[in-house]
Amino acid sequence: MNTRHIWAHPSGTIIAAKFVMYAGSAVLLLLLAAGCAQKLDTPASDSQNAARQPPVIQSDDPATQPASTPTEPVPQPVAEPTPSAAAEPVAKPAAPSPQEPVTTAPTPPPVAKPSVPVSPEPVAQPKPSAPSSPAPKPAAPSPSQPQPAAPAAPSAPKPSPAAPTKTQSPATNIPAATSTLDLDALKEEVRSTSAIGLFTKITLKNQVDDLLDDFRDYHKGKSKLTKTDLRRAYDLLLMKVLSLLQDKDPRLASSIVASREVIWGLLEDPKKFATLSA
Amino acid sequence: MNKLTVAFLQSLVVAGVLAAQTPADEEKLKQDLTAVIALHGQPCGEVVAVTVLAESDYAASCKDGNKYHVYLNKEGRVVVEKQA
Repeated sequence: MNTRHIWAHPSGTIIAAKFVMYAGSAVLLLLLAAGCAQKLDTPASDSQNAARQPPVIQSDDPATQPASTPTEPVPQPVAEPTPSAAAEPVAKPAAPSPQEPVTTAPTPPPVAKPSVPVSPEPVAQPKPSAPSSPAPKPAAPSPSQPQPAAPAAPSAPKPSPAAPTKTQSPATNIPAATSTLDLDALKEEVRSTSAIGLFTKITLKNQVDDLLDDFRDYHKGKSKLTKTDLRRAYDLLLMKVLSLLQDKDPRLASSIVASREVIWGLLEDPKKFATLSA
Repeated sequence: MNKLTVAFLQSLVVAGVLAAQTPADEEKLKQDLTAVIALHGQPCGEVVAVTVLAESDYAASCKDGNKYHVYLNKEGRVVVEKQA
Protein backbone atom coordinates (compact mmCIF):
# COMPACT_ATOMS: atom_id res chain seq x y z
CA MET A 1 0.00 0.00 0.00
CA ASN A 2 2.68 2.40 0.94
CA THR A 3 4.59 1.68 -2.16
CA ARG A 4 1.68 2.30 -4.34
CA HIS A 5 1.10 5.38 -2.38
CA ILE A 6 4.63 6.42 -2.92
CA TRP A 7 4.58 5.74 -6.64
CA ALA A 8 1.27 7.42 -6.91
CA HIS A 9 2.57 10.48 -5.18
CA PRO A 10 4.36 12.94 -7.42
CA SER A 11 7.25 13.04 -5.05
CA GLY A 12 7.34 9.24 -5.26
CA THR A 13 8.09 9.46 -8.97
CA ILE A 14 11.06 11.64 -8.18
CA ILE A 15 12.30 9.14 -5.67
CA ALA A 16 11.83 6.34 -8.15
CA ALA A 17 13.78 8.28 -10.75
CA LYS A 18 16.60 8.84 -8.31
CA PHE A 19 16.60 5.13 -7.44
CA VAL A 20 16.88 4.25 -11.09
CA MET A 21 19.74 6.71 -11.55
CA TYR A 22 21.61 5.33 -8.54
CA ALA A 23 21.10 1.79 -9.71
CA GLY A 24 22.24 2.64 -13.21
CA SER A 25 25.33 4.45 -11.93
CA ALA A 26 26.12 1.52 -9.70
CA VAL A 27 25.87 -0.86 -12.62
CA LEU A 28 28.11 1.39 -14.72
CA LEU A 29 30.66 1.53 -11.94
CA LEU A 30 30.62 -2.22 -11.65
CA LEU A 31 31.11 -2.59 -15.37
CA LEU A 32 33.99 -0.10 -15.34
CA ALA A 33 35.54 -1.85 -12.40
CA ALA A 34 35.19 -5.16 -14.14
CA GLY A 35 36.77 -3.75 -17.27
CA CYS A 36 39.68 -2.27 -15.37
CA ALA A 37 40.14 -5.51 -13.58
CA GLN A 38 40.32 -7.30 -16.90
CA LYS A 39 42.82 -4.78 -18.22
CA LEU A 40 44.96 -5.14 -15.12
CA ASP A 41 44.77 -8.89 -15.32
CA THR A 42 45.81 -9.08 -18.95
CA PRO A 43 49.49 -8.18 -18.44
CA ALA A 44 49.74 -10.51 -15.54
CA SER A 45 48.12 -13.20 -17.53
CA ASP A 46 50.42 -12.41 -20.43
CA SER A 47 53.46 -12.64 -18.23
CA GLN A 48 52.16 -15.84 -16.80
CA ASN A 49 51.49 -17.12 -20.25
CA ALA A 50 54.93 -16.04 -21.31
CA ALA A 51 56.38 -17.89 -18.40
CA ARG A 52 54.22 -20.85 -19.20
CA GLN A 53 54.84 -20.63 -22.90
CA PRO A 54 58.37 -22.02 -22.84
CA PRO A 55 57.20 -25.28 -21.37
CA VAL A 56 54.42 -25.25 -23.95
CA ILE A 57 57.02 -24.63 -26.64
CA GLN A 58 59.04 -27.47 -25.27
CA SER A 59 56.09 -29.75 -25.46
CA ASP A 60 55.29 -28.46 -28.92
CA ASP A 61 58.81 -28.66 -30.20
CA PRO A 62 59.37 -32.31 -29.69
CA ALA A 63 55.89 -32.96 -30.96
CA THR A 64 56.09 -30.82 -34.06
CA GLN A 65 59.76 -31.00 -34.89
CA PRO A 66 61.59 -33.99 -33.55
CA ALA A 67 64.61 -33.11 -35.66
CA SER A 68 64.74 -29.56 -34.38
CA THR A 69 64.68 -30.76 -30.82
CA PRO A 70 68.39 -30.20 -30.32
CA THR A 71 68.07 -26.66 -31.58
CA GLU A 72 65.11 -25.74 -29.46
CA PRO A 73 66.23 -27.16 -26.18
CA VAL A 74 68.66 -24.32 -26.25
CA PRO A 75 65.90 -21.72 -26.04
CA GLN A 76 64.08 -23.97 -23.61
CA PRO A 77 66.39 -23.07 -20.79
CA VAL A 78 63.95 -20.20 -20.55
CA ALA A 79 67.08 -18.32 -19.96
CA GLU A 80 65.85 -16.10 -22.74
CA PRO A 81 64.68 -13.73 -20.11
CA THR A 82 68.07 -13.97 -18.46
CA PRO A 83 70.10 -13.38 -21.60
CA SER A 84 67.98 -10.45 -22.52
CA ALA A 85 68.24 -9.17 -19.00
CA ALA A 86 71.96 -9.75 -19.02
CA ALA A 87 72.29 -8.08 -22.38
CA GLU A 88 70.36 -4.99 -21.43
CA PRO A 89 71.66 -4.32 -17.94
CA VAL A 90 74.80 -6.25 -17.31
CA ALA A 91 75.23 -5.24 -13.70
CA LYS A 92 71.68 -5.82 -12.54
CA PRO A 93 71.60 -8.66 -10.04
CA ALA A 94 68.69 -10.67 -8.69
CA ALA A 95 66.75 -7.71 -7.31
CA PRO A 96 65.75 -6.27 -10.67
CA SER A 97 65.23 -9.71 -12.10
CA PRO A 98 61.69 -10.06 -10.84
CA GLN A 99 60.81 -6.85 -12.61
CA GLU A 100 62.74 -7.65 -15.72
CA PRO A 101 61.03 -10.91 -16.42
CA VAL A 102 57.79 -8.97 -16.71
CA THR A 103 59.32 -6.60 -19.23
CA THR A 104 61.42 -9.14 -21.01
CA ALA A 105 58.81 -11.83 -20.97
CA PRO A 106 56.82 -10.22 -23.72
CA THR A 107 59.87 -10.04 -25.96
CA PRO A 108 60.96 -13.66 -25.72
CA PRO A 109 57.62 -15.19 -26.59
CA PRO A 110 57.45 -13.52 -29.96
CA VAL A 111 61.05 -14.43 -30.59
CA ALA A 112 60.58 -18.01 -29.56
CA LYS A 113 57.32 -18.58 -31.35
CA PRO A 114 58.37 -17.23 -34.75
CA SER A 115 61.79 -18.69 -34.34
CA VAL A 116 60.45 -22.19 -34.16
CA PRO A 117 59.08 -22.30 -37.66
CA VAL A 118 61.38 -19.74 -39.23
CA SER A 119 65.03 -20.23 -39.98
CA PRO A 120 66.03 -17.02 -38.12
CA GLU A 121 65.47 -19.05 -35.03
CA PRO A 122 68.97 -20.42 -35.05
CA VAL A 123 70.06 -16.85 -34.87
CA ALA A 124 67.90 -16.36 -31.85
CA GLN A 125 68.91 -19.68 -30.39
CA PRO A 126 72.50 -18.71 -29.94
CA LYS A 127 71.19 -16.19 -27.47
CA PRO A 128 69.90 -19.01 -25.34
CA SER A 129 73.36 -20.44 -25.58
CA ALA A 130 74.30 -17.28 -23.77
CA PRO A 131 72.64 -18.61 -20.65
CA SER A 132 75.67 -20.76 -20.25
CA SER A 133 77.78 -17.68 -20.86
CA PRO A 134 75.93 -15.30 -18.54
CA ALA A 135 78.20 -16.43 -15.81
CA PRO A 136 81.33 -15.63 -17.84
CA LYS A 137 79.66 -12.53 -19.25
CA PRO A 138 80.97 -10.33 -16.50
CA ALA A 139 84.41 -11.21 -17.79
CA ALA A 140 83.64 -10.43 -21.42
CA PRO A 141 80.32 -8.80 -22.13
CA SER A 142 81.26 -7.78 -25.66
CA PRO A 143 81.31 -11.37 -26.96
CA SER A 144 77.53 -11.32 -26.59
CA GLN A 145 77.26 -9.87 -30.08
CA PRO A 146 79.50 -12.38 -31.82
CA GLN A 147 77.60 -15.13 -30.05
CA PRO A 148 75.21 -15.68 -32.93
CA ALA A 149 78.03 -16.58 -35.27
CA ALA A 150 80.02 -18.81 -32.95
CA PRO A 151 79.33 -18.59 -29.27
CA ALA A 152 81.88 -20.96 -27.85
CA ALA A 153 84.51 -20.65 -30.55
CA PRO A 154 85.30 -16.96 -30.09
CA SER A 155 85.47 -17.31 -26.37
CA ALA A 156 87.88 -20.23 -26.58
CA PRO A 157 90.46 -18.61 -28.84
CA LYS A 158 90.36 -15.39 -26.91
CA PRO A 159 91.69 -16.86 -23.70
CA SER A 160 94.44 -18.61 -25.58
CA PRO A 161 95.90 -15.39 -26.97
CA ALA A 162 95.49 -13.82 -23.59
CA ALA A 163 97.34 -16.66 -21.92
CA PRO A 164 100.47 -16.30 -24.04
CA THR A 165 100.55 -12.65 -23.24
CA LYS A 166 100.37 -13.46 -19.58
CA THR A 167 103.14 -15.97 -19.93
CA GLN A 168 105.19 -13.47 -21.84
CA SER A 169 104.86 -10.85 -19.18
CA PRO A 170 106.45 -13.00 -16.44
CA ALA A 171 109.10 -14.02 -18.90
CA THR A 172 109.86 -10.39 -19.49
CA ASN A 173 109.81 -9.70 -15.80
CA ILE A 174 112.49 -12.28 -15.10
CA PRO A 175 115.11 -10.65 -17.29
CA ALA A 176 114.20 -7.32 -15.78
CA ALA A 177 114.79 -8.71 -12.31
CA THR A 178 118.09 -10.23 -13.32
CA SER A 179 119.15 -7.06 -15.06
CA THR A 180 118.93 -5.26 -11.74
CA LEU A 181 121.81 -7.35 -10.41
CA ASP A 182 124.81 -5.14 -10.98
CA LEU A 183 128.43 -5.49 -10.07
CA ASP A 184 128.03 -4.04 -6.59
CA ALA A 185 125.23 -6.42 -5.72
CA LEU A 186 127.31 -9.26 -7.03
CA LYS A 187 130.22 -8.21 -4.86
CA GLU A 188 127.99 -8.07 -1.80
CA GLU A 189 126.59 -11.50 -2.43
CA VAL A 190 130.01 -12.99 -2.97
CA ARG A 191 131.20 -11.34 0.23
CA SER A 192 128.29 -12.65 2.27
CA THR A 193 128.31 -16.20 0.98
CA SER A 194 129.77 -18.92 3.15
CA ALA A 195 130.61 -21.13 0.21
CA ILE A 196 134.01 -19.48 -0.24
CA GLY A 197 136.79 -19.14 2.31
CA LEU A 198 138.26 -15.86 3.40
CA PHE A 199 141.52 -16.22 1.52
CA THR A 200 139.67 -17.28 -1.60
CA LYS A 201 137.44 -14.24 -1.35
CA ILE A 202 140.44 -11.98 -0.99
CA THR A 203 142.07 -13.65 -3.95
CA LEU A 204 138.96 -13.20 -6.05
CA LYS A 205 138.72 -9.58 -5.03
CA ASN A 206 142.32 -9.08 -6.07
CA GLN A 207 141.64 -10.59 -9.45
CA VAL A 208 138.47 -8.53 -9.91
CA ASP A 209 140.43 -5.41 -9.08
CA ASP A 210 143.10 -6.41 -11.59
CA LEU A 211 140.46 -6.87 -14.26
CA LEU A 212 138.91 -3.51 -13.43
CA ASP A 213 142.34 -1.91 -13.74
CA ASP A 214 142.72 -3.50 -17.14
CA PHE A 215 139.33 -2.10 -18.22
CA ARG A 216 140.26 1.30 -16.86
CA ASP A 217 143.46 1.32 -18.84
CA TYR A 218 141.60 0.06 -21.89
CA HIS A 219 139.07 2.87 -21.75
CA LYS A 220 141.85 5.39 -21.26
CA GLY A 221 143.66 3.95 -24.24
CA LYS A 222 146.71 3.04 -22.21
CA SER A 223 146.27 -0.72 -22.41
CA LYS A 224 147.64 -2.97 -25.10
CA LEU A 225 144.86 -5.43 -24.41
CA THR A 226 142.04 -5.71 -26.88
CA LYS A 227 138.41 -6.09 -26.08
CA THR A 228 138.69 -9.75 -26.97
CA ASP A 229 141.45 -10.20 -24.41
CA LEU A 230 139.38 -8.46 -21.79
CA ARG A 231 136.42 -10.61 -22.62
CA ARG A 232 138.55 -13.71 -22.28
CA ALA A 233 139.86 -12.59 -18.91
CA TYR A 234 136.34 -11.72 -17.81
CA ASP A 235 135.02 -15.12 -18.82
CA LEU A 236 137.90 -16.87 -17.09
CA LEU A 237 137.33 -14.99 -13.87
CA LEU A 238 133.65 -15.75 -13.96
CA MET A 239 134.43 -19.42 -14.52
CA LYS A 240 136.65 -19.39 -11.47
CA VAL A 241 133.91 -17.84 -9.38
CA LEU A 242 131.31 -20.20 -10.72
CA SER A 243 133.49 -23.24 -10.12
CA LEU A 244 133.78 -22.19 -6.51
CA LEU A 245 130.09 -21.43 -6.05
CA GLN A 246 128.22 -23.93 -8.16
CA ASP A 247 128.39 -26.74 -5.62
CA LYS A 248 127.85 -24.89 -2.35
CA ASP A 249 125.82 -21.86 -3.44
CA PRO A 250 124.04 -22.71 -6.69
CA ARG A 251 121.57 -19.85 -6.31
CA LEU A 252 124.33 -17.25 -6.35
CA ALA A 253 126.03 -19.08 -9.19
CA SER A 254 122.86 -19.00 -11.26
CA SER A 255 122.33 -15.34 -10.53
CA ILE A 256 125.87 -14.62 -11.65
CA VAL A 257 125.31 -16.57 -14.84
CA ALA A 258 122.09 -14.65 -15.44
CA SER A 259 123.81 -11.31 -14.98
CA ARG A 260 126.87 -12.23 -16.96
CA GLU A 261 126.09 -10.13 -20.02
CA VAL A 262 124.68 -7.29 -17.97
CA ILE A 263 127.93 -6.93 -16.08
CA TRP A 264 129.88 -7.18 -19.30
CA GLY A 265 127.76 -4.37 -20.67
CA LEU A 266 128.65 -2.25 -17.66
CA LEU A 267 132.35 -2.95 -18.09
CA GLU A 268 132.38 -2.53 -21.83
CA ASP A 269 130.64 0.83 -22.00
CA PRO A 270 133.07 3.63 -21.05
CA LYS A 271 130.31 5.83 -19.64
CA LYS A 272 128.80 3.08 -17.51
CA PHE A 273 132.26 1.99 -16.43
CA ALA A 274 133.05 5.53 -15.35
CA THR A 275 129.96 5.53 -13.15
CA LEU A 276 131.02 2.18 -11.71
CA SER A 277 134.53 3.30 -10.90
CA ALA A 278 133.19 6.53 -9.44
CA MET B 1 145.23 -18.47 45.01
CA ASN B 2 148.02 -17.79 42.59
CA LYS B 3 148.36 -21.45 41.69
CA LEU B 4 144.65 -21.77 41.14
CA THR B 5 144.56 -18.68 38.96
CA VAL B 6 147.47 -19.86 36.86
CA ALA B 7 145.91 -23.28 36.41
CA PHE B 8 142.60 -21.69 35.38
CA LEU B 9 144.29 -19.48 32.84
CA GLN B 10 146.26 -22.40 31.45
CA SER B 11 143.10 -24.41 31.04
CA LEU B 12 141.49 -21.49 29.23
CA VAL B 13 144.41 -21.25 26.84
CA VAL B 14 144.34 -24.96 26.11
CA ALA B 15 140.59 -24.83 25.54
CA GLY B 16 141.01 -21.87 23.23
CA VAL B 17 143.69 -23.61 21.23
CA LEU B 18 141.61 -26.73 20.90
CA ALA B 19 138.58 -24.72 19.91
CA ALA B 20 140.56 -22.80 17.30
CA GLN B 21 141.95 -25.96 15.76
CA THR B 22 138.83 -27.99 15.38
CA PRO B 23 138.91 -30.50 12.54
CA ALA B 24 136.13 -28.67 10.76
CA ASP B 25 137.99 -25.40 10.76
CA GLU B 26 141.18 -27.09 9.64
CA GLU B 27 139.33 -28.73 6.79
CA LYS B 28 137.83 -25.41 5.75
CA LEU B 29 141.28 -23.85 5.81
CA LYS B 30 142.68 -26.62 3.62
CA GLN B 31 139.88 -26.15 1.10
CA ASP B 32 140.39 -22.41 1.14
CA LEU B 33 144.10 -22.70 0.47
CA THR B 34 143.48 -25.28 -2.22
CA ALA B 35 141.14 -22.84 -3.99
CA VAL B 36 143.62 -19.99 -3.56
CA ILE B 37 146.49 -21.98 -5.02
CA ALA B 38 144.29 -23.10 -7.90
CA LEU B 39 143.14 -19.54 -8.53
CA HIS B 40 146.79 -18.54 -8.86
CA GLY B 41 147.24 -21.26 -11.41
CA GLN B 42 149.67 -23.32 -9.38
CA PRO B 43 149.64 -27.13 -9.40
CA CYS B 44 148.56 -28.68 -6.17
CA GLY B 45 145.58 -30.98 -6.49
CA GLU B 46 144.61 -30.76 -2.83
CA VAL B 47 146.14 -29.31 0.32
CA VAL B 48 146.73 -32.11 2.80
CA ALA B 49 148.61 -30.27 5.54
CA VAL B 50 148.68 -26.70 6.78
CA THR B 51 151.06 -25.02 9.15
CA VAL B 52 150.09 -21.67 10.62
CA LEU B 53 153.15 -19.42 10.50
CA ALA B 54 151.43 -16.25 11.54
CA GLU B 55 148.15 -14.42 11.12
CA SER B 56 147.14 -14.79 7.46
CA ASP B 57 150.39 -16.64 6.79
CA TYR B 58 150.39 -20.35 6.02
CA ALA B 59 152.62 -23.10 4.75
CA ALA B 60 150.59 -25.54 2.68
CA SER B 61 151.61 -29.03 1.60
CA CYS B 62 149.85 -30.39 -1.43
CA LYS B 63 148.86 -33.93 -2.28
CA ASP B 64 151.20 -33.93 -5.28
CA GLY B 65 154.19 -33.03 -3.07
CA ASN B 66 154.34 -29.31 -3.82
CA LYS B 67 154.63 -26.87 -0.94
CA TYR B 68 153.50 -23.26 -0.98
CA HIS B 69 153.80 -20.22 1.17
CA VAL B 70 150.45 -18.45 1.15
CA TYR B 71 150.12 -15.12 2.88
CA LEU B 72 148.42 -11.73 2.77
CA ASN B 73 150.86 -8.93 2.01
CA LYS B 74 150.68 -5.33 3.17
CA GLU B 75 148.79 -4.26 0.04
CA GLY B 76 146.02 -6.67 0.88
CA ARG B 77 146.83 -9.13 -1.86
CA VAL B 78 147.03 -12.86 -1.42
CA VAL B 79 150.45 -14.14 -2.50
CA VAL B 80 151.27 -17.75 -3.34
CA GLU B 81 154.97 -18.60 -3.41
CA LYS B 82 156.21 -22.01 -4.34
CA GLN B 83 158.67 -23.45 -1.82
CA ALA B 84 161.55 -25.63 -2.84
